[in-house]
Amino acid sequence: MIRVAAVGDIHMGLDSQGVLRPAFETLPDCADLLLLAGDLTRHGTPEEARVVAKEVTDLPVPVIAVLGNHDHHDERPDEVTAILRDAGVRVLEGEGTVVEVDGARLGVAGTKGFGGGFVGRCGSEFGERMMKDFIRYTRRRADSLRASLTDLAEQGCETRVALTHFAPVPDTLAGEPLEIYPFLGSYLLAEAVDAVGADLAVHGHAHAGTEHGMTSGGVPVRNVAQPVIRKAFNVYHLRGREHPEPATAAASADRSG
Amino acid sequence: MNDPANIEYRIAHLQERLAAEEQGELGLRVENRGSSVTVAGTVSTAHCREELLRTVREELDGLTVHCDIVVAETAAPDHPEELS
Repeated sequence: MIRVAAVGDIHMGLDSQGVLRPAFETLPDCADLLLLAGDLTRHGTPEEARVVAKEVTDLPVPVIAVLGNHDHHDERPDEVTAILRDAGVRVLEGEGTVVEVDGARLGVAGTKGFGGGFVGRCGSEFGERMMKDFIRYTRRRADSLRASLTDLAEQGCETRVALTHFAPVPDTLAGEPLEIYPFLGSYLLAEAVDAVGADLAVHGHAHAGTEHGMTSGGVPVRNVAQPVIRKAFNVYHLRGREHPEPATAAASADRSG
Repeated sequence: MNDPANIEYRIAHLQERLAAEEQGELGLRVENRGSSVTVAGTVSTAHCREELLRTVREELDGLTVHCDIVVAETAAPDHPEELS
C-alpha cells in the first residue's frame, strides 16, 4: 500500500509562515509522500515562494508539486520553481518522478494543465490566433502528461498518479458556476490519463467544487483544493493493481502431480 | 445609485480589485440577491479575511452586504481514504 498525502491552493503569502507546518510535521506518521496541486502562492512572487519553501523544507517525506495559475501571475514561474527546488521540492511540468515505497515504485506525472472545457462544452482550435493558442496551450500540457505517464509505465511504475492544478473532469467542479467550467479544466487532461492509465488523478483550482470524481476510464479524481478538503491535506491509500500471483514451487509441484 | 445594472458593475469592479490587489483573490462568490449582496468563500489567513472585508466595505459602500468568509482549516486529517 502507498499512502499519498495531497493538498492544493494553499495560497501562501507573507502572513502565512508556519500556518501549515505543524500539520506537515505529522506526515511521516500517515503518508509516504506529499503532493502539492498548485496555487501554492497568491501572486507567484519569489517572496511568497520562499514562504512555501520554508514551510516544506526538510520534511521527512518527498514533496512533489506542480504550479498553478496564481504561481504564474508575477510571470516568474522559473524563479518560483527554482526556489521550491532549492528547498527539495520536486516541481513537475510535463515530467514525471518516481518514489520508492517499501520496494514498490510509485510514479507521479505532473503538469499545471489549463482550461478549455469539457466534451460538448469546450473551446476548439478555431478562429482567432488567441483562441487557437489557448486550446493548443492546454493540448501541449495534456500531451506532456500522457508522455510522462507513458514514460513512468515503461520505467516499471505499476502505481501511477497524475498531478495537475486544473481539473481533468467536471465531476469535481460541482458547486462552481457552470459558466466558468471552461476556465477550470479540460477533458484533454482526463483523456491523457485514461490513455495510459493511472490509479489516481489529483487536482486543485476549484475552491467551490467537490472532492470526488472519476474519469470516463474509471480513474478516481480528487479535488484537493484546501477550501474543498477543509484540512491541511488529505491522505489516499493506493493498493495498486492486482497482479497474478507468481506460481510457487509447491503449487507447481501440486499441479504437476 | 442602487439600480440593478449599477450594482452588477460594482460587483464586477469589486472582483477585479480583489484579483488585482494584495489578496489576488479569484475564488470568492459575490452575488446580487435583489436587495442585498452576498460575499462567500474561503481565504488562507485571518489577515486576508480582514483585508477582504475592508475592500468589500469600500467597494459596496451603501449596499446591504452579507459576508460568509471563512479561514481555511489547517488541521491534519484524522483518517485516510482507501482507494482500491
